[in-house]
Amino acid sequence: MGLLSDPSLPTQNKFVVSLAKHVRKLCYAIYLLGVVWFCCLALPEFNHSTYLSENALSPGLVYPEIRIDAHRLAVQLLEELQRERQDHRSTTPHAWIAAKFRELGLETHIHNYTLRYPFGGGKEFHGKNVYGILRAPRIGSTEGVVFSAPYRAPSSVHVDLAPSVPLLMAFADFARRKNYWAKDLIFLVTEQEQLGMQAWLEAYHEGDRSDDGLSANKYLWAGNLPARAGSLQAALNIEVQDLSDIEYVDVKIEGLNGKLPNLDMFNLVQRIMAKEGLTSGYKQAHKQQLLKKRRRQSSSNYELNLQRMVTMLLSQSSGVPTGNHGLFHRYRIDALTITASKRQQSHHKSNSNSAAALLKAIEGIARSLNNLLERFHQSFFFYVIINNDRYISIGDYMPALMAMVASIFIKAYLTWSSLASAGKPTPYGSVMIYLTASLMIGYLGNVLPLQPYFLELPLSAAPLTTCTVASLTIIGIVMPFVVILPPGGLELLHIALLLIYGCSLIVIGLLNFALGFFVGLVTVPLIIALNPIEQQKTNPLSFITFLLNPLIVIYGIVLVMTFYQFPELSIQNILLRAASASMDASAFALIDSVIYGNWLYFAVCTAFLPLWIVTWSLALSKRRLIFRHIDEDMEDLDEIDGLLEEDAADQNKLKTN
Amino acid sequence: MYIKLLCVLLYVGSCLANVDDTSVLPEGFVDATQRSTHTNNWAVLVDASRFWFNYRHVANVLSIYRSVKRLGIPDSQIILMIADDMACNPRNPRPGQVYNNANQHLNVYGDDVEVDYRGYEVTVENFVRLLTGRTQNGTARSKKLLSEAGSNVLIYLTGHGGDGFLKFQDSEEITSQELADGIQQMWEKKRYNELFFMVDTCQAASLYEKFTSPNVLAVASSLVGEDSLSHHVDPSIGVYMIDRYTFYALEFLEKVQPFSKRTIGDFLQVCPKRVCISTVGVRKDLYRRDPNKVLITDFFGAIRPTRVSTDRINVTLANEDDFIVSTAASKKPSFRIIIEPQFPTKFFQLKKLRSM
Repeated sequence: MGLLSDPSLPTQNKFVVSLAKHVRKLCYAIYLLGVVWFCCLALPEFNHSTYLSENALSPGLVYPEIRIDAHRLAVQLLEELQRERQDHRSTTPHAWIAAKFRELGLETHIHNYTLRYPFGGGKEFHGKNVYGILRAPRIGSTEGVVFSAPYRAPSSVHVDLAPSVPLLMAFADFARRKNYWAKDLIFLVTEQEQLGMQAWLEAYHEGDRSDDGLSANKYLWAGNLPARAGSLQAALNIEVQDLSDIEYVDVKIEGLNGKLPNLDMFNLVQRIMAKEGLTSGYKQAHKQQLLKKRRRQSSSNYELNLQRMVTMLLSQSSGVPTGNHGLFHRYRIDALTITASKRQQSHHKSNSNSAAALLKAIEGIARSLNNLLERFHQSFFFYVIINNDRYISIGDYMPALMAMVASIFIKAYLTWSSLASAGKPTPYGSVMIYLTASLMIGYLGNVLPLQPYFLELPLSAAPLTTCTVASLTIIGIVMPFVVILPPGGLELLHIALLLIYGCSLIVIGLLNFALGFFVGLVTVPLIIALNPIEQQKTNPLSFITFLLNPLIVIYGIVLVMTFYQFPELSIQNILLRAASASMDASAFALIDSVIYGNWLYFAVCTAFLPLWIVTWSLALSKRRLIFRHIDEDMEDLDEIDGLLEEDAADQNKLKTN
Repeated sequence: MYIKLLCVLLYVGSCLANVDDTSVLPEGFVDATQRSTHTNNWAVLVDASRFWFNYRHVANVLSIYRSVKRLGIPDSQIILMIADDMACNPRNPRPGQVYNNANQHLNVYGDDVEVDYRGYEVTVENFVRLLTGRTQNGTARSKKLLSEAGSNVLIYLTGHGGDGFLKFQDSEEITSQELADGIQQMWEKKRYNELFFMVDTCQAASLYEKFTSPNVLAVASSLVGEDSLSHHVDPSIGVYMIDRYTFYALEFLEKVQPFSKRTIGDFLQVCPKRVCISTVGVRKDLYRRDPNKVLITDFFGAIRPTRVSTDRINVTLANEDDFIVSTAASKKPSFRIIIEPQFPTKFFQLKKLRSM
């Protein structure tokens, strides 16, 4: 602020003064520029076709050597597994998996982990992962590649993925016979969805660090692993729904906190899948639905592109990984999931593939990954995929967010300069206290639900979290009615809000562009419209601000999703269901943040809630009634000076009131 | 008078017409210049690029190594620099073997490869030191180019190049100017008689552009602005096997026997554009002989010019008496050599005595 408050600088720059009159128009124009830029990105002129930067991968130079007998082995193993599954309705047949791994000649180990679920008085869950290491025959175990498959018990609510494990074993059997591996191959079967994967990764990377055997994570005790395979270079998570009839392969890339694997990895998978004649792609499931729909209604290419962009950003914005691969990104391991989907209608027999083609593709990917000399580093880590062969790089999409944030900073500067010229009192101290108080509320939202007192309450996670956050929000709502700032405080608070809001949007946008962009898209117009000087008693802004409360936004999103998922339910039912679902969502966000390290909950509590409280106070713009006369006097002076017509108008309005 | 003038005019005219025609020169002189004068052969074979996906460069250099060795240059006179170990790379499904084609007809790694500079020893510094003979103290004899004024030297380079440079390893590059300076210094230090410079990289011709030293014949796999392409992929290994130019060069050299009459002129034709895709560049202006009369074994073999004589030859030195007298006259300075005992053995003996 030194530069801005330097008295030697002429704050009465004519240009600035005339700009200050059109602050909103200017800011809206820049905001629109950002939005238009974003929309332009879907045009083919603004995005690029994908290419492989890493020479070492040399994809598709090898003929697949895996033969049909590998497929037969997979089918045979699946039959055995199905028999086992009859005895293990809700558990994992660890013994069978480990025995098979040993039979294949892998160095097999079992990893135990414990989840100490903190809510509802605390419970303990135990889990086991089975993994087998195929040591590279002619090199030290310094590097490894992971091939993983999730195991789901028959009682699971998710789609059945039983054939994944046999397919993984069939590939392991093939790989063991080859002498060209330059990296150890780890074949990993995890249970409990992402929890097992998280525990295994934590044990792999941090298991031997803690001396007392306790994990760094307070809630997930990952333990240690009996054997490792050097630093992991890449990972492929394989999900297969059927061995005989695969319609398409869905490539999932979004990881924890919206991180993505290197674009080279995605391109590699795409290229090899295409070579083996498999239909595959990012969001392929969505695409297949569109293809079916498209026979009836055609939409333009541009629309589709934009739609795909937005879908990708939406799935990134929550920060929840779309598959087990997402947790690898935390340890800087490039990973993605390939999900082979079963054909829905059996009569439609075009384009059918058996798992043999998938095995060939996995072999091709494995050999390319084997060729890697260092970690993926050549291509993009930040990108938006438009089509399977087109992408937008970070340099192209970032300006959209930056334009939005720029409008906020421009508004901050112009408001500040007009404020300085108005010569109003600047109660820094009270504004500081107000800001600290709202930040404190956000901090409490982060800390309170995990306090032992709260955890001992006989409440389950969802009501506990929701109650805590809701009560904090209510404190925030009441705050502007109780605490009223001295004159000039609101104006100063306004500028502080603009600065903090702009900074946090940049930071969030850098860490997770999707989240930053959507928050910016929705809230920037409101922040631009906000002007505490002009507020009237019945203004729509406070209503809009109220609607943008984080809790209400969560409820709104869940409501829309519920409506789309269960259109047959009555409105009342939907509303209720959405309420319980959003309570669950907030609890899950909290659990995600403490177990997996997802920072969405943290960002909402630490940044969005305090910012909302400040915005809410500004939208209401409660002033001390006793000081209103003084305020008017001040504004009279302004009028005499004739410096700010805006203030004059405001004052006139007040007079008429 | 007129006749005299006419003669002069005719002479001048004939001179103008046949500036390059050597027929006006004495035949003996022409023959002498076209005859090889070397006494021994050396070869410096360099693969400057590392990484598994550059398998082909190692196959390139080993192809030439195999040929020169087969044609008679001993390992002691071949300096082989290979920046990465492909034969023993864990990714190689056929350990200890490097092939020049996907059918595995020819294992260019062979049974006895002597690599003089390997892995990270292959640097620009080491290469220039090697050429100019400025190796560091303590360098093994096998790592030195011990050529002299009678040596024919073959220099073969392969790797990734650009306009005016060749990349060494993944970190540095030698420029065409540095290369030209190195060769100029070799000439000044009388380290070669004739030099055959062969390079297989992209834009290879840019590397010999700056040469100014005499008796250098240079051939490059591609002109400036062209890429040198690989020949084919072995789908069981998953890499490109060999570069086009060297593939055809090897094909040619495989048919050459140690007493073959094939010439360098034939060798310069090995890779026409239709098979090479790139244009092979040749630089002959520094070379005084006609490549079509130079045997290929002058550079790729170790066949020295020999003359069979049935005449009686006087092998005594011209002034043998003088020589003997002069050596006898030069008296050796008297000096004593005191050899210090290397180990103080007597102390140990004393100790032994005492302990006894």
